[in-house]
Formats: sequence, structure tokens, C-alpha cells
Amino acid sequence: MMERPAIIHDAAGPTLLQQLTLRLVAFTLVFAILDIGLVVWTYASHPEALGEELLTLEANRFERSTVLTPHELTGPPGARHWSARYIDPKSPDRGRQNSSGSLMDWTQRERLERGVRISGVRRVERNGQPQWLWMEIEIDSLRPYTPVILNELLAHVALPLIPLLGLMLTFNVLAVRRVLQPLHLAEKEIEGLDPEKMTMRLTEPFAPREVNALVNTVNRALQRLEEAMATLRSFTSNAAHELRTPLSILQLSLERLPASDQRSELQLDVSRINRLIDQMLDLSRADALSFDTSGRVDLADIGRTVVSDLTPKAYAANRELRFKAHGPAIARGHAEAIYRIYRNLIDNAFLHAPGESPIEVFAGPGPQIGVQDHGPGLTEADASKIFEQFWRKDRRNNDGAGLGLGIVRRLAEAHRGSVSVKSSDGSGALFTVQFQQGIFFQADGKKLNNPGL
Amino acid sequence: MRLLLIEDNARLAALIRDGLQGQGFAVDWCDTLEKVELLRQLVQYDLLLLDLGLPDGNGLSLIRAMRRREDMTPILIITARGELDDRVAGLDAGADDYLCKPFQLRELVSRCRALLRRPGASLGTILSAGNVLFDSAERTLLVSDNPVEATPREIDLLEHLLRRVGHVVPRPMLENALYSMEDEVTPNALEATVSRLRKRLNMAAADVQIRTVHGIGYALFEPR
Repeated sequence: MMERPAIIHDAAGPTLLQQLTLRLVAFTLVFAILDIGLVVWTYASHPEALGEELLTLEANRFERSTVLTPHELTGPPGARHWSARYIDPKSPDRGRQNSSGSLMDWTQRERLERGVRISGVRRVERNGQPQWLWMEIEIDSLRPYTPVILNELLAHVALPLIPLLGLMLTFNVLAVRRVLQPLHLAEKEIEGLDPEKMTMRLTEPFAPREVNALVNTVNRALQRLEEAMATLRSFTSNAAHELRTPLSILQLSLERLPASDQRSELQLDVSRINRLIDQMLDLSRADALSFDTSGRVDLADIGRTVVSDLTPKAYAANRELRFKAHGPAIARGHAEAIYRIYRNLIDNAFLHAPGESPIEVFAGPGPQIGVQDHGPGLTEADASKIFEQFWRKDRRNNDGAGLGLGIVRRLAEAHRGSVSVKSSDGSGALFTVQFQQGIFFQADGKKLNNPGL
Repeated sequence: MRLLLIEDNARLAALIRDGLQGQGFAVDWCDTLEKVELLRQLVQYDLLLLDLGLPDGNGLSLIRAMRRREDMTPILIITARGELDDRVAGLDAGADDYLCKPFQLRELVSRCRALLRRPGASLGTILSAGNVLFDSAERTLLVSDNPVEATPREIDLLEHLLRRVGHVVPRPMLENALYSMEDEVTPNALEATVSRLRKRLNMAAADVQIRTVHGIGYALFEPR
């Protein structure tokens, strides 16, 4: 599987949810300011109402305060003149009667040379006793009205509006989040896309239509990608096969030349090219996952075949190949792919463990195979890199393209298996491939074998 | 020996034909399946060398058609597609052997000889490798034209190895062929026979080598 860099979620500015929330909050603020402006304007155009409210506010404050007599009251801030006292309800000049003849609250506003005078009476409760409070204020600025306006704003704007706006905001944010949910799902699915499993598609959400359209488009793009990958793979495979005919011509033409060191070199080159072609095919097949890896295979049988097939080559190179079966080695897998795994491991050993020492190939016990060489071995740093494609210890060395062990890893992974290497400097390298346990059942349900010793 | 080479690449065909002619085979060449049918009406071929990807069809269909008519002319497939599945498909269709490109002329010649040597096939029963010559009918062994004495079991062993020159012959196969049920086969019996045969060939200055392939069997190689 290919490593992907982790995606960075907050790299591209704020999320849609953040943006929408920000706009909703700004909208709410503008709305509140408009509302406040409306209240202020209403009072500014009805000064009588403002005066009335001012007296009522002072009377209420007196009711709640602890001062004993109206004389101790300070009045609203910023008033040029302020006075207050109780009045006798029976003194007719101070009160005004309603139609039924009893006293009532009243307010009077008179324009002065500078500012206005507001006077009036309010009924207040003091110590359970009803009293009539007379007040008079002279005002030459808006400052004394401030408490009144604030009070009004609190009572008529803030209290009803804030919970409503809060509710609306919450609802909107939740709704947006919910609408965005399919996008998050699609994001997760796209994150899980794997070039090796190009058949995967995103789940199409029923709503909203915009997300559905996006997912649909992505799915169609995936379809085109899958087709492109298939074309690429079949191209690799066809190209590899096509190369073999000119290579045969080259090989046979070389054989007609008189024997010389140069001819041997060229023949070696031909076999290197051929090996590369083999590996290209291996890779394209491993990438296409065109193996059925569920069959029952005897790893030892395949090992014997590979070693038999490679023995002539070993003989020609004056090398020795040995095979050993350590107990039953039955696994789930694809014979040809496992043949390729063996073959690439052995080729690798031929390349990296020169000399007379034999290369030991083994299968078992259980679903595993291995190739041991007695070459120089690997350093720990190299061991971590050797399964990368195109990695070569020495790039000047042209004996291979560095594909072999990468292929081994891909093929092992296609079997849901794993490959590992053990080595200490100077003692050779031991490559092991572990496969899935192959347990198979007879028709009567009895276990056919249990090779996992 | 008359061979028919069916290959659509003219240069490759010329090289193969020249190479085989140099080894004493008579080789005709054609590049389509259609011409194969025409030529085969005129000439009785001993062996067909068949490339699978031809301009007018797949060579496998020719093999199937021939086998349906019970035409048992040996067929050697020469192809660029050498994966296990392809080999199985070719052999299942009725081909006798499969050679993957690119190949060495030596390999092709030895495969052709092996096919012609099969029971019922055209080549006689003389098996050879290096300076070793063996007549399987007379059971006589010559090294550099000098007769060499050997026990019947050693001769049998040599014959099996010679029939698969350059290939590993699995140990169980040799044991089955060399020892009957009554024989008591000790684990070392085969090894002892091999080692006696090796010594005998060495003494006669044979240039072939019998190699032990540990865990699998034995192989006889011609000189490198």
C-alpha cells in the first residue's frame, strides 16, 4: 500500500460552518443595532413620552430606595434643577382629578428659555402606605434621559430579542452542520480511496442536491481514473510482451557473432533486459491485483519448481541452489504469484551474495517461505529501504532496477501476507514471506489439513 | 527432419531458420495460419514451431483444430507470453512444449530434439550430451567414441538424466524408475548409484556434469 501524506484540514482557511456562523452573528448584531436605533428615534420624536417615563422611573426608584423622605432624593444625573415632596391628596391645586373625582398620575412638560421643565405626580407605596409624590425637573441636555432610554432598551429590545436571536442562531448553525454532514462523509470516503482498489466509489447522499452532484461528479472522475489505470496496466503488460520479440532477435543475432568477451557482455545485457521485462509484468499484475489468492497451494511444490527451473541458470553462473521443506507448507495463494516471489528473492540473492556459497530456499513450517544467502548481509539502515521500488544500494551498479524486492512486497501484500528480512553484517540475509494460513475443509466438514505447526 | 516455423516477425524467423538449419534441420517458414494449412497439404512436417500471436488469429486455435483431427505432429510453442497461466493454456490446447522468448538457440535445438525423440516421434533413440552418446535401444554408452561399461541401474539413471539434459529430474521420479517394489530402497541407494556413475564418467573423461540439487533431485549439464 502506498503511503499518503496526512491531509491538513485547516490549511485552506475557515470552514464553511465557521463562515456561516460568523455571518449569522454579524447579521444578528446589525439587526439589534437597527432595533436600538428605532427605539431611540421613537422617543426622540415623542419628548412628552420621554418625560413621562423619566418621572415614573424616578418614582419607582424612590419606592425601592431606603431614603426616608423625598427631600433626600438626588434626582436623575445631569438635571439642572430637581425637587420632590409628598403632597396632600386633598389639596386640589397640586393634584389633578380624573373624571371620577379621585387623584391620578399626571405629567406636564413646559418649554423654558433653556431646556424644559417637567413636573408631575406619581402614586407610590411607602411602608405599605400609599403616598402621592410630586416631582419637578429642569433639563437642558439629553443626559438625564439616559437611564430611561437604557431601561426602555432593556425592557423592549434586549429581553425579547436576545433569546430569540440566540435560538435562531443555534438553529441555523445546527441546520448548516446537518446539511454539511454528507460533505464530511464524502471527505472521509475520499480519504479512504486507494489506487489499488479503483473500484471504490463514494456513497451518493439523497440530499442536498449540490452535494449529490459533487459526489456524482467525483464518482464519474473515479470511473475515468479507473479506466486510465486499466489502460496503463494493459499498456505495461503489452509493452513488456512486445519487447520480447526484438529481444529474441538481439539474442539470436548475438549468438551468431564469434565468441568474445564483448559478446558475453552483450548477452548478459540481454538477460538483464529480459529480467526487467519479467519484473514489469510482475508489477503490472501485482498492481492490477489480478490474482485469485484464495486457492490452496503447496508452497514446497512451488519452491521445488522454482529451484528446478533456476538450476540451469545457477549452474551456468557456477552457483548452487538448495531446497528444503520444513514440514507441511500449505497456504492460500496464487501459484504463479508465489513462484514470482520465490524467483525474485532468489534473483536478489544471486545478485547480492556473490561467490561460491549456496543459496538456501525453504518452505514451511506452516505458511511461510524463505531464502537465505551467505553474502555480505545488510545494514539496519539498508534493511528499512530495500522493499521500496527502484531502491538500489549502489546506483552505479546496473545489475538491476531495484524492482525485485518491491515486487516481492507487493505480491506478499496481495496475499495479505508480509515479507521481512533478518540480517547481521557479514552473515548473509534471510528473507521470509509469511502467507495466510490455508485451512480447507472436506465435503463432510472435516478439516482436510492443518498445516500451521 | 523437416520443421515448419510459423512466426510473423520476418527477422526473427530468419534467425531461427538459419540457426536450426545450421544444426541439420530443414526448416520452412510461413507467417499466417492460412499458409500453414496450405503448406501442410503439400509437406508432412515432423515438428511445428508456432508463435501464438499471428496476424490472422491465435495459434492456439490451430493446435486445437489439429488435435481434433487426431493429428499428433509435435508442436512447440514459441511465444512472448510465458506466464504460468499462458503455459497451461498452451499445453492444455495440445501443444507438446512451450518456449518463452527470448531464448538461446541451444535451448531451442535441445527442445526440438527432445520432441522429435519422443516415442512415436521421428528422431532415433540416440541420446547425446557433450561427448557422451547413448543408444537407448542397444543400451550402449560411448564417451568420446569409446565404449564405457556400466551397470544396468547406472545406465537407466543416465538415460533419465540424458532425456532431460539441463533440467532437474526429481529424486522421487528417479527412485520410482530405478527401483522396483521388491527392491529395498535405502535412503542412500540413489546417491550411491549417482556417485558410481559420476566416477565412471570422470574416469572416461566425459565432459558432462551430474549435479546434486539439494532437496529436489539431480541434473545433468552439458559443458558450459
